[in-house]
Amino acid sequence: MNPLLRFADVSFGYDDGNVIQSASFDLHEGSCTALIGPNGIGKTTLLRLAAGVLRCSSGNVLLGDQPLNKLAIRTVARTIAFVPQQLDLPFQFTVRQVVEQGRTPYLGLLRGLLREDRIAVDRALELADVSVLQHRIFNELSGGERQRVKIALGLAQQPKLLLLDEPTQNLDIGRQVELIDLLHFLRAEGITIFASIHDLQLIEGNFSTVLLLSPDAPLMSGTPEEMLKPSLLEKAFNCPPRRHPLLLERTQSHAKKAG
Amino acid sequence: MSSGDGHSAPGRARFITLVVLLAATLAIVILLSVATGAVRVSPADILAALFQHHPLTETQQIILLQIRLPRVLAAAVVGAALAISGLMFQGLFRNPMADPYVIGASGGAVLGASIGIYFFSQLSAFGFSATALFAFAGSVATMAIVYSLARAHGKTHVITLLLAGFAVSTMLGYSSYFFELLDTNGSTGNRILLSWLHGVIGIPRWTQLSVTAALLLLATVIALPLMRQLNTLALGDEYAHQLGLRVEYTRVGIILTGSLLTAAAVSLGGLISFAGLIVPHVARLLLGPDHVRLLPVTALAGAIFLVVADTLARSVFAPTEVPVGILMAFIGGPFFLYLLRKTKRSYAL
Repeated sequence: MNPLLRFADVSFGYDDGNVIQSASFDLHEGSCTALIGPNGIGKTTLLRLAAGVLRCSSGNVLLGDQPLNKLAIRTVARTIAFVPQQLDLPFQFTVRQVVEQGRTPYLGLLRGLLREDRIAVDRALELADVSVLQHRIFNELSGGERQRVKIALGLAQQPKLLLLDEPTQNLDIGRQVELIDLLHFLRAEGITIFASIHDLQLIEGNFSTVLLLSPDAPLMSGTPEEMLKPSLLEKAFNCPPRRHPLLLERTQSHAKKAG
Repeated sequence: MSSGDGHSAPGRARFITLVVLLAATLAIVILLSVATGAVRVSPADILAALFQHHPLTETQQIILLQIRLPRVLAAAVVGAALAISGLMFQGLFRNPMADPYVIGASGGAVLGASIGIYFFSQLSAFGFSATALFAFAGSVATMAIVYSLARAHGKTHVITLLLAGFAVSTMLGYSSYFFELLDTNGSTGNRILLSWLHGVIGIPRWTQLSVTAALLLLATVIALPLMRQLNTLALGDEYAHQLGLRVEYTRVGIILTGSLLTAAAVSLGGLISFAGLIVPHVARLLLGPDHVRLLPVTALAGAIFLVVADTLARSVFAPTEVPVGILMAFIGGPFFLYLLRKTKRSYAL
C-alpha cells in the first residue's frame, strides 16, 4: 500500500546550513506517529515541510504519488492540516470565526460559506469538544482551550493527515490526558496523526510509530518499544540516563534483565 | 456573500440593523449639512423640493447644487474611502494602528500636490485640478515604489513594508518645504499648499466628484471578496498559506485597492488624519472583527463621520473656516486616546 505521505531523501536548510539532512520516512494511513528529538533539531521544520509550507531544497515530499510542491495549495490544504504551536490573533475573533477559517480551501473568490461548510464547522467544533466555546473570544481562552480550538480549525479542513506541533506543550497533566484522548478519538475517526511530542512519557500506548531526530545521526523510526531505549535517547538528547526518571526506570529494568 | 459570526440570528440581525441605521443616518446628516450655511435653506424646503415639486428659488438652487451638495458629497466620499482603506491596511498589517497613509500615500501626495500647485497651477483634466491630479499620481507612485522596495524573492514582508512606507513618506512629506523656497512670486502657492496640507475639502466639480465616486464604488466591489481573505490573513501569513490562500495575491489586491482609495480621498480633500484610523476601530468594537461585515459598516460610518466633521469645520467659526483635517486632529486625537485607554487590554500585540 502506498503511504499517505512520503519523505524521500528530503533535505532542507535555512540560510545557515541544513536543518534537515536527507530524511526518508513514510506516514501510513491510520497511523499515529510521534516526532521526538532535542530542542532546535528541526521538528517544527520537518512538520512545516510535511505541511507544504516550506519547500525542501532537495529530495521530495510526496502526497500519494505526487510531489507536494507540484500540487495546488488548495488541494494540499484539503488533505493536510497543520496545527501550529502558537496562534496569535490581532483582533477579537470568536472561536467559531476562527474555526470557519478552516473552510478556506473550499471557498472561492465569490463563494462564501455554504450550508455544507457550516456543517463541517459544527462537526469540527464537536469533534474537538469546543462547541460550547464557539461564541467566546479566542484570545481570552486558556491554553488548553486554545489548543483544542486550533485542532478544531485543522479539522474543519476535513484533512486526512493532521500535523500537530507540540500539542501538549504548556498543558497541565489533566489537559494533556484530555488531548491524548482526543488524538485517540481522531485516529478512530480515520485521521492520520503526526505530532511532535516533547514529553516522552506520553508516547507509549498512544502512538503507533516514533520518529527520532538526533544530532549527527540519520532520522530513525520504529515502534515506541524499539525507539524509547535509553541508549538511543541518551545519545539523541545528550542526557545522562540517571538524570531523568523515564530513562532511569528503563535503565534499571534493563539492568535487571541483564542481571 | 456570506460572512462569519456563526450566522447566529442575533449577530446577523444586529448587522443588518446597523447597516440600515447607518444608511438612514447618512441620508439625514447629508440633508442637514446641505441645509447648513450662511444662506439658510430649511431641510423641510429641500425635502419639499425633492418629493413634492415645490421648487426652490434660483439662488437657493445654485447654492445647493453648485456649492453645498458637491462639497457634502465629496466629504462623504472622502470619509468612506479613508475608512475602507484604513480597514484594509489594518487587516493587512494585522495591526489596529495602521492607517490609510501607512505605506507612504501622504508623503507622495504632498510631493505631487506641491508640483501641481507650483508648476502646473493652470492645468486641469476631467474636472480635477492640477493639485488633485498630481496628488493622486504622487500617492499611487509612492505606494508602488514602497511596495517594490519591500518586496524580495517574490514575497513582501509586512514589517519591511511598514518601515519603508514610513521612511519614504516622511522624506517626501518635507519636500514641500523646498517648493516653498522656490516660490518667489508671492505667497499664493504657499497658501494653497498649506490649506491642502491641513486637509480642506474644496468644492469639486461634478465631473471630478463622479469620477472619484466611481473609483470608490469600483474599489468597494473589488474589496468585497478580499475581505474574507483578510479574515484568513489574521491567522498569520504562513497559516493562511497553509489554508490554501494565495497570500501574495491577496496582499497585492489589498494594497492596490487600498492605495487607490487613499489616492482618491487625497485628491478630493488633501491630508485628513484620524478618519481612517478611528472609524474601523469603532466599527470593530461594535461588530467584532469580521471584515466582510465591517466593510459596509465602515464605509457608511466613515462617510457620516466626515460629513459631520466637515459641516462643523465650515460652520462653527463661520464665516471663518477651519480645515477639516485640523478639526479632525483635535476631535479625533482625544477620542482615539479615549478608545485606546478603554480597550487597551484587547490588543495583545
